[in-house]
Parts: sequence; structure tokens; C-alpha cells
Amino acid sequence: MADTSMPRSLTSARVSISKGLLTVAISLVVLVVVSAILAPSSVSPGAVLGMLPFAAVLAIVGLGQMLVVQQGGIDLSVPGGVSLAVVLVTHMPNENDALLVPAVLAAFAWAIGAGLLNGFMVGRLGLNPIIATLGTNALLFGAVLGISGGIPRTTTRLLASIGGGQTLGIPHAVLFALGALILVSILVKRTVAGRRFEAVGASPAAARATGLRYRTHQGAAYVWSQLLFATAGILLAGITNQPTAFQGNTYLLTSVAVVVLGGTSLLGGRGFPVATVVAALFLSQLDQFVLALGVPFAVRTLVQAAALAIGVAIYTVNWAALRQRFARASAPAAIATP
Amino acid sequence: MNMPTTEAPAAVATLSMTGISKSFGGAAALTDVSLEVLPGEVHALLGENGAGKSTLMNVATGTIRPDRGIIAIGGEVVDVLDPREATRRGIAFVHQHPAVLPDMTVLENLLVALPASILPRGASRLDVAHELLATVGLKVHLSDRVETLSVAQKHLLEIAKALAVKPSLLVLDEPTAPLGQDSVDMLFALVRDFVAQGTSVVYITHRLAEVRELADRVTVLRDGRLRATAIVDEISDRELLSLIVGRQLDSTFPPKFDGPREGATSFAATGLTGPGFNEVSISAQRGEIIGVAGVVGNGQSDLLRALAGLASFDGAVEIEGRAVTGKELLARAAYLPADRLSEGLMMRLSVRENAAVSALRRFRSGLLISRKRELGMLGDTLGSLSVKAASLDAPVSSLSGGNQQKVMMARALLSEPVLILADEPTQGVDVGARAEIYGILREVSAAGIPVIVASSDAKELEGLCDTVIVMSRGHVVDTLRGAEITEERMIHSAVSSTTRTVNVDDVRNDGADERAAGRRASVRRFLQGDYAPPVLLAIVMLALGAFIFAQNDRYLGDFNISSMLLLTSALGFIAMGQTIALLTGGIDLSVGPLVGFLVVVGSFFILNESPTTSILLGFAAMLAASIVVGLVNGALIRYVKFTAIAATLTVYIALQGLSFLLRPTAEGFINSEVSRAITTKLGPVPIAFIVLVLVVIGLEVALRRTPWGWRLRAAGSDEESARRVGVEVNRTVVLGYVATSALTFLGAIMLMTQIGVGDPAQGVAYTLSSITAVVLGGTSLLGGRGTFVGTLFGSMLLIQVLNATVFLRLDQMWQYILQGVLILAAAILYAIARSKRRRRATARP
Repeated sequence: MADTSMPRSLTSARVSISKGLLTVAISLVVLVVVSAILAPSSVSPGAVLGMLPFAAVLAIVGLGQMLVVQQGGIDLSVPGGVSLAVVLVTHMPNENDALLVPAVLAAFAWAIGAGLLNGFMVGRLGLNPIIATLGTNALLFGAVLGISGGIPRTTTRLLASIGGGQTLGIPHAVLFALGALILVSILVKRTVAGRRFEAVGASPAAARATGLRYRTHQGAAYVWSQLLFATAGILLAGITNQPTAFQGNTYLLTSVAVVVLGGTSLLGGRGFPVATVVAALFLSQLDQFVLALGVPFAVRTLVQAAALAIGVAIYTVNWAALRQRFARASAPAAIATP
Repeated sequence: MNMPTTEAPAAVATLSMTGISKSFGGAAALTDVSLEVLPGEVHALLGENGAGKSTLMNVATGTIRPDRGIIAIGGEVVDVLDPREATRRGIAFVHQHPAVLPDMTVLENLLVALPASILPRGASRLDVAHELLATVGLKVHLSDRVETLSVAQKHLLEIAKALAVKPSLLVLDEPTAPLGQDSVDMLFALVRDFVAQGTSVVYITHRLAEVRELADRVTVLRDGRLRATAIVDEISDRELLSLIVGRQLDSTFPPKFDGPREGATSFAATGLTGPGFNEVSISAQRGEIIGVAGVVGNGQSDLLRALAGLASFDGAVEIEGRAVTGKELLARAAYLPADRLSEGLMMRLSVRENAAVSALRRFRSGLLISRKRELGMLGDTLGSLSVKAASLDAPVSSLSGGNQQKVMMARALLSEPVLILADEPTQGVDVGARAEIYGILREVSAAGIPVIVASSDAKELEGLCDTVIVMSRGHVVDTLRGAEITEERMIHSAVSSTTRTVNVDDVRNDGADERAAGRRASVRRFLQGDYAPPVLLAIVMLALGAFIFAQNDRYLGDFNISSMLLLTSALGFIAMGQTIALLTGGIDLSVGPLVGFLVVVGSFFILNESPTTSILLGFAAMLAASIVVGLVNGALIRYVKFTAIAATLTVYIALQGLSFLLRPTAEGFINSEVSRAITTKLGPVPIAFIVLVLVVIGLEVALRRTPWGWRLRAAGSDEESARRVGVEVNRTVVLGYVATSALTFLGAIMLMTQIGVGDPAQGVAYTLSSITAVVLGGTSLLGGRGTFVGTLFGSMLLIQVLNATVFLRLDQMWQYILQGVLILAAAILYAIARSKRRRRATARP
């Protein structure tokens, strides 16, 4: 026995706050304060209510991307997945509310199909996720054009009220995003499969050594992500009155950006759902703010790039080693400029 | 004990190390060790695992810098020794893990590792290379990919590389471990021949028989201290053994099993054969702990992995009289790997998550995991093992080695296993925790769960186990019970073993068949080579072209041909750049926005009214901008350590912003004369396309025949090995990204003529289409292998497919579907071809 008769029992906190969450949350608060001072119009109720539904859609897409990224993968079929859901729920009903439910079911069925295809290729065949999802994306766009012919149709009234409406002043899309966040968090943190999923992401080799079916979990991530993309697409169709057939295109890079800003490593590991959602809010508000300042689109994009660079640097740079490196007097010059 | 019994050296020592000390984080690895290697001698370095043999030789070759001590090479004291300096002074080290580049051919491996003076350009190069392989008896074709070689063949290749530089001192670290008898004989003959020419050899080994057969003198290390140096003929095996053993171990052990000798057998394995081990049989009764002894890497870990259900095996395993299959073992056996860092624990997760991962079902109430139940059971188990951690939420990486090991034990116990397999359970564990771990293992065993412990520390097995098997090269060379279990007996069995490695095919006897079936072999080599995908693509293109032509004969009209080739030129140049990024093992997402940005830059200089100087300045500005972007990408990836995706994604967004900053709307019409010059045609073929083809040929030759190409592929193939053969990986990769951007610049010139105006929104699509073209061409996203020719054909096929939909009157939907099918078909086909080639199963995904 050790020094004491009974070793002190170990405790566990109910809530833990990751470095990523802390970073993006503080950034968001700072951004809101700066917005209120420099561009008050960007935090006016109208502007916020206009921004939130799109932030919610980005958050849901981001959650899907996060599940794949935490398994060391990446899903480039975001545009196809989102666009296909948009097209299905606008074209199938063609403004007829009665056909909305079958259309939504069809969107989820397609999502499962696309997810299984990606999952099979990455998990089973061991294909590189970039290629596999790139191919799937092209196929999904084939379906998008096959269904829509590239022509937009108006959203049904029911979907517009579900996706674009408000309850108690809260946009529905926000509620959906919160629902998705809670669902993802519970599934990952509180179910057997979810905890195993997280373990596989943290270390496939260790997961394998403990007898987990790591390839199945790695493949399953793509099904979850497509389901979330479809959800986002359906919402987007509700928010936008006449969505185009390429509505999902803008979400490819931003989904990766919010995941990275939320602190999830592109090399895989633990996923941070809350931080990802906050990062989506941050990026959307950043857009609003820069827009309200009246600066051109170009500056907005540059600010986004800077935010991403700083975000990635915070998580990836080994600051301690860097300090040591610069402390060393005779450190060789980094690179020669031409 | 014996002190050095050498006579005064007659000649100047090749290597002389005096008073070397080195400690890692407070633990002494070497303490005041001196070693002298004379010209023309084989000097054996003998000792247990962890005795400091490899550390000492890493000091000698400059890989590790000692804390204290003097190193002299050829009588000249060297103050600061780094690997390059050591190589320059003629020291060659053949490591246990060969530094070979799997994606490159045998010849290329020689070329990238050896100075040009040894393998001069010209006709004699192949002869010299053949000779190098013949010296070590390696019977492989020079254009075989190293990935397809066996472990032993890779080893021989490594030895061939070391011998090629004609070193004055050759260090061999356990060279016979992966070799079969024939190769061992050949190696010994080689070493004898070598020292006869006056070279010195340091031979690290565990085996007394090899010392006797080969060495002139022997130095024994134990616990990082010099035990003795002696002339082999003047020292007996018994004396050597007594120098090796006798390590002090302060741990206390729990009492051994003292139940009735004829109790029921609880664990029995009969005739187990699998990867790395052969005909292993063990049995133990309830309450007994089984030990697996031997020098590290002699099949112990492989045996444990197989028993954990992680590798397939033949033979029978019975637990409590019931036969169990590998599948059941995977689910029910608890395996504690030796490598806690990468395989044992999920270092990024908390103590709680690690301990719970194998027992999650037990915490379930309803659909969800009950937090209360989880914390309760975890608290009990971790408490009973007295795990010390800040909290259950502490990252497991923050714990000490001993506590990490206990977390693994807790995980094992919580999963209610039928068998516990512990590989090196006390490696990196402090003395106090050791005793606790021994106690836990004993308790578990007493509770009736069979426990198997593999350890390279014989003293530990002596204290802990009730029955021990000693393994050597995959065979059981001794089975000990009761009082026979002593450190001396185990080490004796291990070091006097003369068994040879199982499952090796180092000397392929198809040398004669090779010529007979020469044609078949070269077909196989072609299919495994880099050029199969381009040929496949060419066939697909011809077939598709013929099909379309049959439907519509305007397809091969001059106008269509030249417009297709012009489109191909823009994509082609960009895809060439992407190929380089992928060859380094990275990716460049920024090529699309970059090409757009460069056109925007050009649109300020290359206008209709611009003078010639302005036009030239414009091209210079575009080139300069592309080089800067390449440097930024490369620096972010190599020096700031962004992942390639994160780095180039950031640059992607930034470049888009810059384009819009310079040109908020499309403006600046490109000089039409410049456009006309660039799109000049020779018959139906644009000059630009001819230039592209020439660039492709140039790059292809550079990739295969020049040091630049070898280094690029080496860095992408295996970074660690590349560094060990002397490739400056950082520089190579950064310059690779610069080349990627510079080729994108050529693409931008083509795109400029196509859109004719500085439009900030153009170009982005080239990111994905360039990746598609490269992948179609067969370049691997894992880095290290690919061809520019394949990328050219991939670009052509992509353009052809897009064009085909017009001629076949298919709508836009088919453009996408055909693209998708092409990508997936190519990816799946190449992946299958590759997995067939690579037979060895890898644990890591």
C-alpha cells in the first residue's frame, strides 16, 4: 500500500472548456464589442436576425465537417451534399406543401447513400478522403443538375415558415442548429458508439489495439456528415426564397475554416462541437462587421484569411519550442528570399 | 571484475572514445564509457537491451552529442561531431531500421543516398550499381520498387549503401536479425573480406555465437557502463555471460504462485505459428503468470499481438479448457502494448476516457452512458490501483509512465477480460510503481485470469513469473519452470541461440527464372511501375475519341482540336504544379486563386496600349508574385508546421481577397497582340501546347534522372529516411511549392489569353480540376510517386470529357457524372493495384 490507507478518489468536472472554445469565445466577445463601437449597425437587432440563420446553417455544416475531420479525414462533397438537399426540397414539391415530407425523406435518403459511398471508399477501400469525396461531389452535382436542370424553384410556403420563420423572436434555423449541436454532443459524449468514435479519432492505432473496429467508425463519420449537410441544405432552402442549384458551393472552404478555428486538428483527434458552432457565429459576425464598415469584399476576405491563419497558428505552433529557437543565438536564417 | 586486457595498440585507432557520458532527462544512458576500435578488427559490442550499445554508437556517428568525453577519429580529436562530419570522416552506420525510400526503385535509392562520384552518370552507372548489389548478394532488379522488397532485402540494400562509400569504420547494429542463414553467411564473409582490407567494423549483437565466429575483440556494456574489453579468444562464454548479467534491480516482487502443482490448466497454446513466430507452445495453470523472455524483437511482441487477436495465427488456444478463436480474443483479451505513446493509450484523451474505452457497455443505463455509473466504477478501479492524477479529466499524457501503465491496467480490468497480455509492462516506469504493477498482475492472476508478460528484462521475469518461455528469432528455445527461472538461464538461452529468423525470403531463388520469364517479369514491373496509369489513360482517351468521332465527325476538326489543346494547356501547367505539391506528400489548394490573382496582376501591365517594357514588367511581376506565394506556402507548412491543407487554404482565401482588392470588378483588357502571340498555332496545334509537352518531358526527365527529382520524391516518400540519407527535407519541400507556383504562373499566361480581362472571380475552379487531373494520372496523394506524363494525360482526358458532352449532346449533368465516375474509377483502380503490391499488412491506417 502507498502512504495513505485509502488513495484519494479522483474527480471529474461536469463541464470542460477546451482551448479552442476559449479562444473562439473570447474572439467572438471581442468582435461583438468592437462591432458595437466601430459599426453599431452590424449588431442592430435587424442585422443580427439577418445573420443568425446563415450562421446556423454554417454551424450545422461545420458540425458535419468536424465529425469527419476528427477522424483524420476531410469531406469535400459539402457543396454537392448541401446543393442536392436544397434542390430536392424545392423541386420535388414544386411549391406544394403536401409533398414536402417525402422530399425531406428523399434528401436524407440521398445523404445516407452519399455518406455510405464515401464511408465505404475511405473506411473499407482505404482511399484518400480528398479524392473519394471529390468524386462523390461530382456525382452529387450530376444528381443536382439531373433533378433541377440548373433552374431554381421557389421554396414551399411550409418550408419557408419552418426554415425561415421565428418563434419568440428566435429564428428557427438557430433552434435547428442548437438541436444539431445537442444531438451531436450527446451522441459523441454519452453513447457507447460515440465514445468509441471519439477514441478512434484520437488514436486509430490505440483503438485498434483495444479491439475497436476503427475502420467502421472512420467510414461512419461520412454518413453523419452527409446527414448534417442535408439538414443544412433543407434549412437553407427554407431561408432563401429561390435557392440556386449551386447554393452549397460557398460552404466548402468555410466549413473547413470553422472546424479549424474551433480547434479540431486536420490531422484528426478530438472534435469540439461547441467551439465549431461558436466559430461559425464568429465568422458570420466578422462578415457582418466588415460589411457594415463599408469596406470592399476584398478586405472581408483578407480578414477571414488572417483570422484563419491566426487561429491555426494558435493551435499548431509549438510556442515553447519557438521561444527556445529564437533564444539560441546562432539560429540559422529560416529561408533565403530570392 | 576483469579490467581491459588489451595490449597497447600498434596502429592509430580508427575510432577512440574516452570517458563518454550521456544522460537523457536525468537518467544516465552512458557513464564514463571508453572504446577503442583498431584498424582491421571486428569489434563486438555486447550487452542486454538498454545497456547503451546503440546510444554509444549514435554518439560515435554524431547522431547524439555526449555530455562529456572525447571522440577521436583516425587519431584526430573531433570537437563537434554531426552525422555529416562523421560520414565525411568515413564512418558508416547500418541501422536496425533501414533508411530506404519505399516508393523509389532500388537504383534510385542508391542514387539519392550515394555521392555522384560513386555512381557517375553514363553507361558505367548500371554496372557499378549491379556490382554493389552483387557484393551483398542482393538478387533484385534495379528497377524494382523498394516497397516490394522483403525486410531482409531492404537490409541488404542498406548494407550495400554503407559499403559503397568504402568507409574506414562500419557500424552494424544487429545486422543478422532479419536475415536467413544464407544471407548471414554471405554477410560474415563480407565483413571478413572487408576487415582484411584494413577497415574496422563495430558489430552490435546479443549473440555469443556471432561474437565467437566473427569478432577479434569484444566490449561488454551493462547499465550504460563499461564492463570489460577483451580479446575474444582469451575469454570464455561463462566469463562473458557473467559480465552481461547481474543487473541491479531494486524492485520487490510479490510472492510467487504456491498452489498445488497439478491444478487445472487455465491457459494453453499449442503449436502457434504466425507472422514473426513459429510453433510456440505454452501452458499454465490457474494462478500462474507466464513470462515471455528474449531479446527485443525476437517474436515476443508478435506472439502477444496474435494472442490479442490483432494478427492471424495457426494453432490452438484454450482458456479454461475452451478453445477460443482469434475473433473472440480480439473482443475479450486485454492487450497492453509496449508502445504506450502511439498504441497503448489515446494520449490526447483524458484518464477517464482512456480507462473507460473498453468497458463502455457496462456503464450504460438505457441508451445513454450513465455518468454516475461510469465515474463510480472508474473511481473504484483507478483507486484500487492507486493511480495518481490531478483529476479524471487530466490528459493521460500528463501522467508519469507508471501511472499511465496503471491506467492501461485499469482499462484492462474494467473490460472483464479472459486473458491479459502485457508487453514490457514496466518500461519507463519508476521503481515504486514497478512493485505496484507486479502486485496488480499477481492479484489478477490469483483471481483466475491468465496473465502473460513479455519482457526483455530477464531479472523482472525471474522475480515475477511461474513459467517462462525464451524466444529467439521467433522460436521457443527454452521453457523454464519454478527454480529454473533465473536471469542467467534466460540470458544464456537467448544469447547462445543459433536459430535463424522464420518467415524470410531474403534470397529469392528466381534469379534463373528471372531470365526465363524475363518478359513476364518486365510486364509485372511495368504494371507495378509509375507508367501504367498514363498508358491506361491513353487507351481510354483513344477509345473515347473514336466513339465520339463515330457520332460526329466535326470532333476531329481543326477548330475543336486546337480549342481543346488550348484549354488543356492552361489546366496542364497548373496540374504540373499540383503534381509537384502532391509528390512532396502535400497538396496545394491555392493554385486556383493564384492563377486568377496572377491574371489580375497581369491586367495592370499587359494592356492594349502598353509599351513593350510594361508588358515585360507585367510578366516579371506575375512570376515574382507566384514565387512569393510558393515561399509563403512552403514556409507555413515546413517552418510554422501548418498542415498542407490549412496552410494553402489560408493562402487560398487571402489570394481571393487580394484579387478583389486589386480589381473589384473585371477590368483591364489584355493586350490582344500578346494574346495572339501566345495562342499561335502550328497547323491545328497551339504552340503553347507544344511548350507544355516539352515542359512535361523536361520535368519527367528531371524527376527520374536528376538529384532534384530524387530528393523531391524521397522527401515525399518517407521523410525520416530521406533525412537520414542526407536530403534537406525543408529546403526540398519549400522549393517544391515554389516550383508549383511557378508552373501555375505558366498556367496563368494561358488563362489570361482565354478570359482576356482582369477578372477577380476567375480561376478558383482550377484547384479542384488540377487535383482531379493529377489523381487521374496516377500520382499518389501519399507522396513520393507519380508522373508528369500521367498528369498531362489526366488533364487531356478531363478536357476531352467536358468537350465530349458537347459533341454527344449530353447536358451539363453528364459532365459532372462522367467526371465523378472517372475520378472514383481511377482512385479505386489505383488503390487496388497498390494494395496488391503491398502485401504486408500495416496496423496503422
